[in-house]
Amino acid sequence: MLSFLIYALVNTVFVILISPLFVSLIKKVKAYMQGREGPPLLQTYYLLGKLLKKETVYSGNTSLIIRITPYVNVVCVIAASLFVPVIYIPMSVGGIGNIILFLYLLVCAKFFMALAGLDAGSTFGGMGSSREMTVSAVIEPVIIIVFAALSLLLKTTNLYQMFAISLKSSLFINPSTLLISLSLFIILIVESARIPVDNPETHLELTMIHEAMLLEYSGPDLAMMEISHAIKQTLLMAVLINVLIPWGLTATPGVLSVSISVITFIAKGAVLAIVVGVFESLFAKSRLFRLPNLFMLAFFFSFSTILFELLR
Amino acid sequence: MLWAYVISGLGIMGFMLMRFSRSEKRADYLNTLAIIHSAIYLILSVIALIKIQQPSYFFSRYLMIDRLSVYEVLISCVIFLLSSFYARGYVRRLVHSGEIEVRELTLFYAAYNLLLLVIVFAFYCNNLAFFWILLELTTILSAVLIVTLNAKENIVAALKYVFTASTAMLFSIIGLIILFALTRHATGTGTLNWDTLMQQAGTLSPRLFTFAFIFIFIGFAAKAGIVPFHTWLPQAHAKAPSVISVLLSAVLLNIGIYGVLRLYAVAHKTTAWHTVSLILIGFGVLTIIIAALSMLPRGNVKKLIAFSSIEHMGFLLVGIGLGTPLALFWVLFHTLAHALVKTQLFFSAGILHQQYHSNQFEDMKDVFALQPLAAWGLIIGSMAIIGVPLFPVFLSKLNILTQLADYSLPVMFVLLVCFLIVAAAFAAILIRTIPQSSESKLEPYHVSLSMQLPIVILFAGIVLIGVYFPAGLHDMLMGIVRSLGF
Amino acid sequence: MINLPVLDDITKILFVLVLATAVLIITVRTLSSLFNIYSVQSWFIAAVAFVMYLKTGSIVLLLLTILTIAGKAFLVPYVMRRIQKSMNMKRDVEFRYLTPIGSILVGTAMIFIVYWSFSKFLPELSSDDLFIFGAVIGVSLALMGMMVIFTRKRMITKILGYLTMENGVLLFSLFIAELPFIIELLIVIDLVMLIVLATVLAFGIDSSIDEFHTKLNSFTLWFKE
Repeated sequence: MLSFLIYALVNTVFVILISPLFVSLIKKVKAYMQGREGPPLLQTYYLLGKLLKKETVYSGNTSLIIRITPYVNVVCVIAASLFVPVIYIPMSVGGIGNIILFLYLLVCAKFFMALAGLDAGSTFGGMGSSREMTVSAVIEPVIIIVFAALSLLLKTTNLYQMFAISLKSSLFINPSTLLISLSLFIILIVESARIPVDNPETHLELTMIHEAMLLEYSGPDLAMMEISHAIKQTLLMAVLINVLIPWGLTATPGVLSVSISVITFIAKGAVLAIVVGVFESLFAKSRLFRLPNLFMLAFFFSFSTILFELLR
Repeated sequence: MLWAYVISGLGIMGFMLMRFSRSEKRADYLNTLAIIHSAIYLILSVIALIKIQQPSYFFSRYLMIDRLSVYEVLISCVIFLLSSFYARGYVRRLVHSGEIEVRELTLFYAAYNLLLLVIVFAFYCNNLAFFWILLELTTILSAVLIVTLNAKENIVAALKYVFTASTAMLFSIIGLIILFALTRHATGTGTLNWDTLMQQAGTLSPRLFTFAFIFIFIGFAAKAGIVPFHTWLPQAHAKAPSVISVLLSAVLLNIGIYGVLRLYAVAHKTTAWHTVSLILIGFGVLTIIIAALSMLPRGNVKKLIAFSSIEHMGFLLVGIGLGTPLALFWVLFHTLAHALVKTQLFFSAGILHQQYHSNQFEDMKDVFALQPLAAWGLIIGSMAIIGVPLFPVFLSKLNILTQLADYSLPVMFVLLVCFLIVAAAFAAILIRTIPQSSESKLEPYHVSLSMQLPIVILFAGIVLIGVYFPAGLHDMLMGIVRSLGF
Repeated sequence: MINLPVLDDITKILFVLVLATAVLIITVRTLSSLFNIYSVQSWFIAAVAFVMYLKTGSIVLLLLTILTIAGKAFLVPYVMRRIQKSMNMKRDVEFRYLTPIGSILVGTAMIFIVYWSFSKFLPELSSDDLFIFGAVIGVSLALMGMMVIFTRKRMITKILGYLTMENGVLLFSLFIAELPFIIELLIVIDLVMLIVLATVLAFGIDSSIDEFHTKLNSFTLWFKE
């Protein structure tokens, strides 16, 4: 029990600390691809710090929802972060680690965010919420299939055991996990609202999907929404990384192994962040009706994984 | 022996590429070369028939001359010779009306002669993979021939032809590879030679053989115009100049059926024979039904004739599928009969096209007054192709249908109904067209001797074969059937 | 020659990548991307041939690798790009019968059907895991190419679909049986001629008839310009 508490503390703190770094890294990569220098790597930390110091202002038309949503988001996401062992894999306690529960914690956070977008009664918020829910409605079945394929491949629905099995395999890259990681990459893009699904750096409200729901927040509330978004992205990155290339991850906690694990995770995460940044720069934002094509690709890859698993 | 074919072919092509100044003379010069080419090949094939012991193998067993090959090569050479004669007047007229550029005549005739060379070698092939390569070459060459007319529909038709045929042939290659692996698994060294396959057929696993057969069949069926791979045929045959339609219909479809026949001979020796027969008969019946039903609403004479080709190919497939020696004898006879009658039909249609500048039946007015020879050609050709007695198709249809009745009576009745529909289609169209007359007088198109001569020869030939069955032909066909192992 | 199990895994990874390129060809709409994807696919298949060469040591496979790279990874995309430039078409947005989503679903169904039928018949020949895997991926690639031919309207995309079919058949042949090299060489020459003819004709559909016939008349002139 105590070991689990230590794990919870270490994991959560690490994830909270590392997420803004990945966000800034992606921005920096995109800036370099565009020929600019971009903001410094610690910019997101400065942003969060600045926001925490400001005061919160609520619109007169809002209700309870917008006041509790930031807290709900942060709580859900941090609870979800317990499910994904980023540095070391502890013993599983209770139902923690189940991939479906992980998915639904993230969905819960998204649900409240959408509700709060409607709360202030502004058009842009409503538009953002409806778009987000549309995209979500199409991507959720695909995510379920992808996770189902992942579970079939690794023979368990518990993320802890998935990573343990992946760690034990002796292969350089397992061909089936390569196939499923293509799907996981597409899901990462969709869930963290990146091009080609949504442009996170747009300032035009009519082109926003995710950002539009955040227009009404200010001060610490906005800081909490931003950090929860960043943590969600990091968690999905961690799932992809630890399934595909799990070296460095350890099953036994010890100071040396944990430090190696931290360093390798930051390195792998940085590489993935660079890949995401490059991928974002190569494409343009798709029209809303073209998004299902992208999801179909994810569906295809996961279906093929299931098929090839049956082939063995 | 085979070198003689290659050398004469390449020699003729060399002559073709020599420059010549005046355009009118050029067309005739090229055509004379084509006639000489076909004549030389005919002579060589007759020599091969008489002198060469069949079967004999050449080129490390990649090529062979055996009874069936020589028979098919003879048919092809005769058709090519007749159409070279016909082409003289036809191409001259096309150049005159601007439908072919003079500059392209060299390409046209070069492709024409190259096509004959490739077809002869395709028939002389012993190796299935080599056969496949040559089949693809014939697709390419005939597509080039279709395109030499200055019209956009020709390009569309040629592309559809190339794509459908080549896509199906890719399936064929998959089947060939499976067959190769199968023989390698059964005996140790893989082989794709017909003679080795015939010997080893008994050792092959029947299920896998059927599996490979289906794939290979797809390719050959597409080349032969079997439903559902026939989609390219009506357009290609209708849009091509009549000279080329003859080649497509009478010779190229034959190659596809030849491939299926050889494959069936191999299948006959395995235990998968009955399944394969069923597949062939099934596809054949389907083809006949679809072709018969498609013939009814036709208004374009060449499309009508093209669908009739599809129907006959389906009938050949049924005959092959039956598998009795008698059925195969008449299948072989039918290839000859069909080639001759189809050639005559297309020649007549070509003359009518030159007269009326259109292939539609409703444009053909005062047919007897303007073009009596072509009109009679069309009428007699239609009667022959339906199967009226006195013409050869009657003999083969009667006998194959009798064999089919032994196999399955309901299927025979279905086919009889289809043949009735076909006859009705032809009759209805002819009855509607012949009495048509226009108020304004049309100029009769002067048909040159070179175009009339082949039609007259074919008249004589068709009636001759229909009435008198030469004993030499009888022996040759029996020899072929026996050599195939039936 | 070398017989490490890692070679098998590298082959399987390459299969996965080939499958990814196949599904991209079904859905992508920009023409130059299609050519790039085709080129990448040919590279992957050449890599598979090379790995098979390392495994079995048959010189035929090495020659086949070189032929594939030279012909399909360089020559064919170069020819197609020249045609595309002269035809002035950037994207092929028209789909017939099936939208991209439908195509992917049909593609998935096809892979399933191919796997089901092959697993019933092929184990008789050889029970090697890689053998069946290779056969299934090869034929699926061919079927997906056929689907591209049927669902696209523009001729140049259809040609690309045909080329994908060829790639699939090549992959299939690498695993089931290698035909003697002379046959392979002749098949490749045949197919290249087919592609040249089809591209010339495709050019003819979109340009004016006069230009087309000048070019049809002498192939050398066409390549010189």
